[in-house]
Amino acid sequence: MEFKFSDREELLRKTVRDYAEKEIPPYMEAMEETGEFPVELLKGMGQMGILGVITAPEYGGAGMGALARIVVLEELGRVCPAIPMAIQVHHMCTYALSTWGNEEQKKKYLPPLCKGETMGVVAVTEPSGGSDVGGMQTTAKLDGDKYILNGRKCFITNSHHADTWVVIARTGEGGKGLSAFIVENDFPGAKAGRKENKVGLRGANTGELAFNNCEVPKENLLGNEGDGMTTAIQDIVQCGRPGMAAVALGILNGVLEQAVKFAGERTLYGKSISKLQAIQWHIADIYADLEISRLLTYRVGWMIDQKINCAAESALAKQFACEAAARSARKAIEIHGSYGIMHEYAVQRLLRDAVVTIPAGGTAEIAKLVMFRQALSMFGL
Amino acid sequence: MRIIVCVKPVPDPKHWNRLQLDPKTRTLVRKGIPGTINPLDRHALEAALTLREQEGGEVLVVSMAPEDSQPVLKEALAMGADRAVLLSDRVFAGSDTLGTAYVLSVGIERLGEFDLILCGDETIDGGTAQVSAQLAEFLGTPNVMHVSGLEVSPGKPWLARSQIEHGYTLVEIEPPMVLSVVKTINTPRYVTLMNILEAEQKPIEVWSANDVTLSEPWAGLAGSPTQMADLFAPERKGMAEMITGDPKEQAAKLADRLHRLGFC
Amino acid sequence: MSDQVESKIWVFVEQRRHVVAEVGLELLGKARSLAEPLQWKVAAVLVGHELDALAEMVLSFGVDEALVADDALLEHYCNQAYVKAVEGAIRQYEPQALLLGATAMGTDFAPRLAARLRTGLSAHCIDLDLTPDGQLLSLVPGWGGNVMARISCPKTRPQVATVLPGVFPVPEPGRARGRMVSLNPQLQPEDLGYRVVETKREEAPKSGLETAEVVVAGGWGVGSKADWTRVEELAAALNGAVGATRPPVDEGWAEEKQMIGQSGRTVRPRLYIGLGISGHMHHLVGVKSSELSVAINSDPKAAIFEHCHVGLVGDLKEIVPPLVEAIKQYSQQEPG
Repeated sequence: MEFKFSDREELLRKTVRDYAEKEIPPYMEAMEETGEFPVELLKGMGQMGILGVITAPEYGGAGMGALARIVVLEELGRVCPAIPMAIQVHHMCTYALSTWGNEEQKKKYLPPLCKGETMGVVAVTEPSGGSDVGGMQTTAKLDGDKYILNGRKCFITNSHHADTWVVIARTGEGGKGLSAFIVENDFPGAKAGRKENKVGLRGANTGELAFNNCEVPKENLLGNEGDGMTTAIQDIVQCGRPGMAAVALGILNGVLEQAVKFAGERTLYGKSISKLQAIQWHIADIYADLEISRLLTYRVGWMIDQKINCAAESALAKQFACEAAARSARKAIEIHGSYGIMHEYAVQRLLRDAVVTIPAGGTAEIAKLVMFRQALSMFGL
Repeated sequence: MRIIVCVKPVPDPKHWNRLQLDPKTRTLVRKGIPGTINPLDRHALEAALTLREQEGGEVLVVSMAPEDSQPVLKEALAMGADRAVLLSDRVFAGSDTLGTAYVLSVGIERLGEFDLILCGDETIDGGTAQVSAQLAEFLGTPNVMHVSGLEVSPGKPWLARSQIEHGYTLVEIEPPMVLSVVKTINTPRYVTLMNILEAEQKPIEVWSANDVTLSEPWAGLAGSPTQMADLFAPERKGMAEMITGDPKEQAAKLADRLHRLGFC
Repeated sequence: MSDQVESKIWVFVEQRRHVVAEVGLELLGKARSLAEPLQWKVAAVLVGHELDALAEMVLSFGVDEALVADDALLEHYCNQAYVKAVEGAIRQYEPQALLLGATAMGTDFAPRLAARLRTGLSAHCIDLDLTPDGQLLSLVPGWGGNVMARISCPKTRPQVATVLPGVFPVPEPGRARGRMVSLNPQLQPEDLGYRVVETKREEAPKSGLETAEVVVAGGWGVGSKADWTRVEELAAALNGAVGATRPPVDEGWAEEKQMIGQSGRTVRPRLYIGLGISGHMHHLVGVKSSELSVAINSDPKAAIFEHCHVGLVGDLKEIVPPLVEAIKQYSQQEPG
């Protein structure tokens, strides 16, 4: 067992940090205001290899793996959590294509996604609910050489910017009746619908995808008919939940930095508030939350890279880190006093961002259900 | 074209608030502060990589530093250098600028012929800005400092633009040469994820004193002509006179003082 | 032929197009006060072409000897030619110390010369001392000014140092008493390592920092590019220049040419106001000659409060706007 990053991961962290600190801040104000993702950043992130971090080099990626991806997302999130929110969903799209796509599909869709020429999305959740994947209502009916899709997907990150959609739709009955499709945003009958106005992670665009007799060529079936449930669940376990955990790590880094800085600068009764035990305990709690979340999240990255099944660990990391981020952001606001709820101070945004991570990529309750099952299985139940 | 870039690993300035002076040993405690490429050396490396893209050839990175500086050289390789040489030996430790320039010069002599050596104009830690000119002196080549622009056309003398007070000097110079660059010459590229993987295939050679020919005595603490007689935290004048009150009172009191002194 | 040169401290007085850099004169004054207790003589070294008038000028600053290396090939500064021009004289007359300004020219010439002579050089000094046994001790800020080092050069001569411009005052000129000595450089065209094509003044807008009566400087604590306008507004109200420490320059709030400190400019205003500046020596060396220094910082433990004359602990957002208002009101009053 070794709790130490390799030189490769250390350099990766450093270079992404350099990039993020210089390139992202100029966009942050507009992101908060408009709720739009700065698509201008995609090209640069493509050149950096950030978009293709888990995609194989033959399809234009860096092929660095899941742990590297977590480091990348954490460092982007240290500066602005909405950026890795959008990018982690983009990664989910590349993951689905890499894992279930055939050679033609991979050659066609992955290189532009890695370069940042296109943006990706995975669409599972529907208005009836996202957690109950089996209850999905969007249909796909084979009609000659086309599938005809009808239905709506909602709370979809990157909805209005994405070009390449991986969409789960119903081709038959029950859990085995779900299939995955690659839909291009300009296919006939495909449309980005309502745009949501979130309280946090505002710079990651969220909205609806609507399918109205949407025509999808037969060759755009991803994997086999009936694989849709596996695609959705595996993508969430291997990519979505670790990704959300990494976004939360980014937030926690920011929270700790803001808390320590403010406590060091602010004086009360003639001395720094960092001398007060109440403040010290808050900071110790935030520190603990960051470090525990890191251990849990890095472990998931490592397990994925080792090809070890990690459904429960992935759920645990996601659920813990996102709750920890929200909890810690609140503590940081308490350290700030009234300043903490003012727009000039970053902590209020970090709290809003943290709250949004909690339902994203699967609710806490579903994550807990996975953990509960794991706990029972430890006793053969 | 053969280009050599001299790179100094320095403690990352982002973490300099953690630097502490050990009052007993009178040395700086830099434990736990990660290393990075000296910021201006990054511009030197960028200039070298741009020139290689334009003219072809190879870019070699040379550094004199402790052996644990290899991650910093790895970063230089990831930026795009082809090969790195780390001159590392206890004999070199404590060299002043003359000693450093001398050790670099014997390392470079072993590397063979070159067209251009690029350095950052100064390092961010010592900040002496002496090594490039002294290296050129040891190697017997011309040198230009404060370089903010470089124009290279084959078969013609090169044009280097050197910043001076309130302007610049443009000089014609022929290779081999040593140039040290300022920040305005370019914007260094980021290391990409693909670059990090590529760099793992590139060699870092570590040369000790036995691998080079030291015919003069300047290397190391003992050989260096300058010595640090003392190292101390800057002296304090004593506390300032403090203007207190709520912000408005503070502002009013200060404005009044400035008025009485004739500033407004 | 050249006469015997007796001076033990040589000061390189830099000139371009027959205009001397003030730091050369500053160093003449300092060299004389260093030399006095040891009863050493002080020489000014001039390198260039057609320097008679300048030689007379430097003699009026009380030096004992003006050493002049005059050659048509020295008309434009070229480091290798300059080194060759003075190298022989240094070897022949063995001065104990050689001082140069830490200018674009000095920082290029000094290291090349020191390496040729295989002697020690300390750079960007902010103070100099001479021990009774003739050791030159140079005070050099290092590590971004977090520490100061005292550098000596015990074994080799001359002891060479470059000194930041503006650290020492320019002495008053008086009656010349010294003499001029020609160094007969005897250069060949191949002694020039490069050819100067042109030297141009850049029409970059001047910050006016060095000459400003009032300098308002901002540091990391200013907070953001948007908040930087507070620094500019206060400077405008006081009709002063805007300066910065390194972080605002790195962040793009301020321009490189506005940087004050060890690797930036040295200012000597009548009034210096530091906003959100913690007070690393790196910056403070550039402002230490200010007649009155004021610091506003939210951290009562900021080091700057131990270096400035007047301190205000508080939030810039709350103090600066009413301060600017009050200053504007005073400025509108009739004089008297």
